[in-house]
Amino acid sequence: MDSPILLLLALLVALVQCFSDDYHSHNSTRHHDYCVLGAGPAGLQMGHFLSKSQRDYIILERNSGPGSFFNIYPRHRKLISINKIYTGRRNREFNLRHDWNSLLSDRPDLLLQRVSRELYPDADSFPRYLSMYVKELGLKVQYGVDIGKIRASESESPRGRGYILTDQRGLDYTCRVLLVSTGLWDPQKVQFEGSDLVEGYESIPVDPEEYKDQAVLILGKGNSAFETAQSILGRASRIHLYSPSPVRLAWQTHYVGDLRAVNNELLDTYQLKSLDGLVEGGLEDIAIIRNGEDEKKRSGRKKKCRSSGKEKRGKLFLTLSELLDSSDGKNSSKVTATNLPVYHNDNFSLRQPYDRVIRCLGFRFNFSIFDGSARPPSSEGARGRLPGVTAWYEGRGTPDLFVLGTAAHSRDYRSSAGGFVHGFRYTVRAVHRVLELRYHSNSWPSIKLSISQLQSWLLRRVNEASGPYQMFGVLGDIILLRGSHCEYLEEFPLQALPQFSSLSGHQLSKHGLLVLVLQYGLNRTDSLGPGRAESEWTRAWRSNFLHPVLYYYDKLPTERDMRHRPVGWPLPRPKAVHHMIEDFLTEWDGPISHSQPLRRFLEHCLHTDLRAFYAESCFRFSLTNRKPPLFCRQGYLRKHGVVRNRQLWQHAHEAGLMLGGQDSASPDTDPAFPDYLTQAGASVSSAINLDF
Amino acid sequence: MAWFICVIILLLCSKSEQCTTGNASKLIEHTAAHFFEKMQSGKMYFIYFGKQVNPTIGLFIEQLEKSADVLEDYGISVAKVNCTNEHIAKYCTGEKLMKKVYLFRGGNVLKSFDTDTVFDVNAIVAHVLFTVLFDEVRYVHTIAELQSVERAAKGKADIVLGHVQVLGLPEHRALMETAFVYGVKYQFVLTTGGPVLTNMGVDDISSLTAGLWFLHCKGASQSQHSDPCPHTALRRALTTLHIYTFLQLMEAPLVSEASVEPSEVNMVHSHLQVPLLFLFSQPHTVALDRVTAQTLAWRLRGQVGLVLIHRESPDVKIPLEYNAAYRLPGEGSEVKYLILNNLEEVIDLFRDESTPEEEEEDDDNWATLDVLDDEVAESVYRDRGQSLDMDAVTELTADTFHSTVAESDYTVVLFYVKWDAVSMAFMQSYIEVSESLEDADVSDVELAVLDCGEWTDVCSAQKIRSFPTVRLYRPQEPSQPYQGMLGTESVNRFIMLSRLVSPVLLSSPDEVTSFLEGDLYQRHAAIAPVTVLGLFSSTADAGVPVFKEAAKALRGETMVGLFADRQAEIWAVEYSVTLPAILVSRGPTGQTEAHSLNLCMPDQLVTHIQRALLDTFSIQPSIEKCGQRAGQQAASEKRMIAKKAATVINGGHSAHLMKVHMDQIQTLKTEIESLKAHQQKEKHYLRAEIRATADALVQSQLALMESRAVNDTVEEGEERDGVTIHARHTCELWNSTSDRQTQHTIPFKCLGSLRNVLVFERKAIFLCPFKMASN
Repeated sequence: MDSPILLLLALLVALVQCFSDDYHSHNSTRHHDYCVLGAGPAGLQMGHFLSKSQRDYIILERNSGPGSFFNIYPRHRKLISINKIYTGRRNREFNLRHDWNSLLSDRPDLLLQRVSRELYPDADSFPRYLSMYVKELGLKVQYGVDIGKIRASESESPRGRGYILTDQRGLDYTCRVLLVSTGLWDPQKVQFEGSDLVEGYESIPVDPEEYKDQAVLILGKGNSAFETAQSILGRASRIHLYSPSPVRLAWQTHYVGDLRAVNNELLDTYQLKSLDGLVEGGLEDIAIIRNGEDEKKRSGRKKKCRSSGKEKRGKLFLTLSELLDSSDGKNSSKVTATNLPVYHNDNFSLRQPYDRVIRCLGFRFNFSIFDGSARPPSSEGARGRLPGVTAWYEGRGTPDLFVLGTAAHSRDYRSSAGGFVHGFRYTVRAVHRVLELRYHSNSWPSIKLSISQLQSWLLRRVNEASGPYQMFGVLGDIILLRGSHCEYLEEFPLQALPQFSSLSGHQLSKHGLLVLVLQYGLNRTDSLGPGRAESEWTRAWRSNFLHPVLYYYDKLPTERDMRHRPVGWPLPRPKAVHHMIEDFLTEWDGPISHSQPLRRFLEHCLHTDLRAFYAESCFRFSLTNRKPPLFCRQGYLRKHGVVRNRQLWQHAHEAGLMLGGQDSASPDTDPAFPDYLTQAGASVSSAINLDF
Repeated sequence: MAWFICVIILLLCSKSEQCTTGNASKLIEHTAAHFFEKMQSGKMYFIYFGKQVNPTIGLFIEQLEKSADVLEDYGISVAKVNCTNEHIAKYCTGEKLMKKVYLFRGGNVLKSFDTDTVFDVNAIVAHVLFTVLFDEVRYVHTIAELQSVERAAKGKADIVLGHVQVLGLPEHRALMETAFVYGVKYQFVLTTGGPVLTNMGVDDISSLTAGLWFLHCKGASQSQHSDPCPHTALRRALTTLHIYTFLQLMEAPLVSEASVEPSEVNMVHSHLQVPLLFLFSQPHTVALDRVTAQTLAWRLRGQVGLVLIHRESPDVKIPLEYNAAYRLPGEGSEVKYLILNNLEEVIDLFRDESTPEEEEEDDDNWATLDVLDDEVAESVYRDRGQSLDMDAVTELTADTFHSTVAESDYTVVLFYVKWDAVSMAFMQSYIEVSESLEDADVSDVELAVLDCGEWTDVCSAQKIRSFPTVRLYRPQEPSQPYQGMLGTESVNRFIMLSRLVSPVLLSSPDEVTSFLEGDLYQRHAAIAPVTVLGLFSSTADAGVPVFKEAAKALRGETMVGLFADRQAEIWAVEYSVTLPAILVSRGPTGQTEAHSLNLCMPDQLVTHIQRALLDTFSIQPSIEKCGQRAGQQAASEKRMIAKKAATVINGGHSAHLMKVHMDQIQTLKTEIESLKAHQQKEKHYLRAEIRATADALVQSQLALMESRAVNDTVEEGEERDGVTIHARHTCELWNSTSDRQTQHTIPFKCLGSLRNVLVFERKAIFLCPFKMASN
């Protein structure tokens, strides 16, 4: 009974949408401040922030629904991004550390777990989730607009240069700011002799039965290659994976783009001698040739050599292009004895022919839709597959054009999570904050904290923040020190630190700044071997697992500093650095191992005593010091001191930490140096207490 | 050898100066004739030509006299020539203060020194010997220079390389004295830092003030031209004795062999106070053992002597399980047997032996770092075994927060994070509040806590920026922050006061009287000893809503009444103020003060009332000098003075008030002293006064602090607030931290200890002649 109504409702919604779309297309200008290209996760994420800040924006999508990439990929329909529903915690921010699929929003329940309860969800659930996201947040997405050409507008309008997008119907969209979140769609291909004989990951059959008793050569050793291998493992006779570099295991490199353990069954079968294997070798100098020339001849002897014919006919041989050249220029693609490596090297690993060769080499950014005036250059890293962007994700040489999502991965390729939903949802937020300042003069959101609260605030971030946790080494919290208070800015792109003021709208004071980063240890250790974890806080700098690191600078690092930073460091050498010891539970709240070393570091940077004191101690300090400790000034002297109860008094007294009194020398007069205070006045409070 | 030791002993004696005391000074005073005669003798003379003596020169001559004894041992006579009496051309110049000393050999000047260079005995000896040994001691700076010295010395002599950062220090002297004695035997090389040291394996050149290395060049073959000679570093301070010992050790054979019990081995090392290490060898492993011993000996050279003992000898009766032993220096020290498995262990053994202090220091360092030095954190940490009774309070979650806040008449919420020690310390007091609320049968208050570590959304939405934060929520009203002391009593008082209607609307003069000092006052006297009454001529007064707003904001702080009626004029006249006004009542026994109101914004009014709530004081013009009022002053007068000072300080930040500040503080100190003298008689009566005085003291301190912190603009604003609210607060602190029964005596005791704190304080600001006062 419900469904017809629902259907009706959906129709109605569609109709209304059509209507509004129609209305839009009739609008002669079709101008928007922000055009978001592509309604994938990054585009929608940006859409949310734009809609939240009530900007004039449109998301243009060529397909009929959001996240259409996920309608096709991954081909074997299992997402390998973690959807951990149960963390034992109810802290939403903390839980996002273990939810790799959901997008950021203000709605506590707008998470992927509403669609799927699986740890590795079915791929279909992701577009479903995105549709839900669009609907619930009322994002403005225009489907069916296939932008084929993007050019920078010639006229220098006072509002900036802007971009003109032309869709398949020849309609133009003018945008002041273009946000490219088109993702990576073009399969990465390598040209070699016989590359036309190779099937692509995008088009291979996914039914394992089609591979029954076949020998398969897969080019590539990434997740798609292993995913393909894993699906046919039970049917194919032999699976070989071939690519230039050896396999990188995600759990060793901490990079989620490397081979995930979810997909690595083939490693098991390889090393347990089950006819599968990995081979390293260049892709450019190979050739694939088909044994099909003498088909007729063989068919004549069909009855005689049935078995051998069946074995050899139409089979694909891997050889080297140089072998083809040397023998015979014209008939190079023929299978002859001398064309095959085995002729020259009788134990050549890949000497047996294959039934299929499959290319699983990943994807590249589609540069072709950009006119020369609007085309960002190819990135230096990632084999030029991605557009080159600045540290704040603006295309290099294309002002007002920002690249979001997977396509923006060149900044942290092979190091962090910027190419994945759980990473770029935060970088998109950072880009949005940059936009807000640049085009609307809203500076980076910040929280003003009193310095005495900084320590617990840092611990709070360290214990729950998901942004720096997911985008480790890329996004970090910036704390601008301002004497007795500080400004706390969350999740700033670290590489953009030299441009901090112009990107955030905040000025640095002479007191300098702190940067809170989460990072893995730089010493590559055996991820599972002994001694992999450090537990002694005094040796926190040797931590290997993800742990918080604080950098203190008295002035902003320059671009030069940034370029010359030590290899593997997210930031240049600071004035002082503090590693918080890695924690097995990622809970950094131990008083001795975490809090106190952190406090001492802050004291060192701020040149002030940050300890807390009971009211009695504050009273004494107030009388005996020109400047009582900060905690007393910000608490006690504002009538907000901490009164000990009997039990705690007893403890503090036993610990010999309470100050003042009759017969002891008073502590050193300068409260800025707590070291002296430690031992001083042990017997003090007892004297007073007895007097009472 | 004996000769060497003699010299050393001599040197030691002269250095310790004990031998010389009592002896006549060896400093000769020359006449001109005498001088020329001596010059011909060919001896070395170190002569100072002087005229006038100022303190600096006086000191120098004193040092010169001392050096005379030392230098005599090296065959150098020290003399001075008084140029006022004698005139020697060239040297007795016309200047009044002459600052040159000359070193002569056979009538020629070897070198002249400035008195600033040769400022004491050490410098004199060092520089003179350095000059004398100019040919023997090579000075090098670069690595190339050192290499050329090494090349020259290879196969011939060993090199002693000394490093002193500055010439003329005791280390330099020790080195020169040694060079004087051993100059023939070793090639001495001196450097004052630079690249040479890096060659010697010194990492941090700047931190090394002095050092000495022995370069074994004699044994090194000449053929290996470029190879540097192997070197051994002296690991102790550069003193003559240490250098001597060190050189002796370098002479001793690397490894000695013996066939007797370790206790009977007698070697030069034992005289030199150096430990001996014994390795026990067996016939079939002798060759290997020798290699081991050699390796070890090289590593430990200069620190330990190494002896290889042949086990097979019938004299040796060592338990077979041991393979090594060592004997520390000193008479009758025992041989300790050990089993050693590798070389590092042995080396560690002696490293520990030789530098036990450093190691300990290191350990201490880490150990103290592991101790919490924050009294709040430490006391909470010590309490970690006790689980808090969280049942007494409601633990809110994101799901229950809004409903709880909406349902209860009053919801007090403590926002905390569990890693914040202050939060957890306060949590204990907070739980105690729930008990006292239960005792008082209060049912309309929901006492709740919310963990911001878990319910981060709620805390962000509530804009919690610091921990712990306490807020009072009333349905349909914005929350009210609690800004008082984080203690049971204060919170309790806040809650109780918050439950009262504010302002209390009074309708008749009787009620007003009752509110100020009668029943209405008494009912809440325990929680609101000071009450505020707003007086308006009519309810239509424009100020009434403002006052009501302010009264609302002051909920929890004090009890506020409102009397808006024509009859209010009576009080206005009585207290000689104009309406609208407020009356601040301190109960039937206390004073009631009146303030006219200048009504504007509610927050300004709030500040005004808060200020009025503080103890206020009257002004007396004269300032007493310290000690004038010793002892016999009437208590009431003192009270006036104390109050006066406090008012002055309380009221202003103007510059000229700051100037008279020290006087006032001194006066106050005197007053406290005399108050103390009276305390036996007038204990009860004085309680309030002393408290006020102490308050004033705190105030003075704060004001003073502020006057000094004028440059610190960042902090300034904050401290001002502190100043204005402080007086009341100190009393409150005492009240809230003490037992009710003993309250009367506490201020005295506090004051007593307070005074001591001040007296013992090195940088005490309030130093005051106490003795004068108590006489």
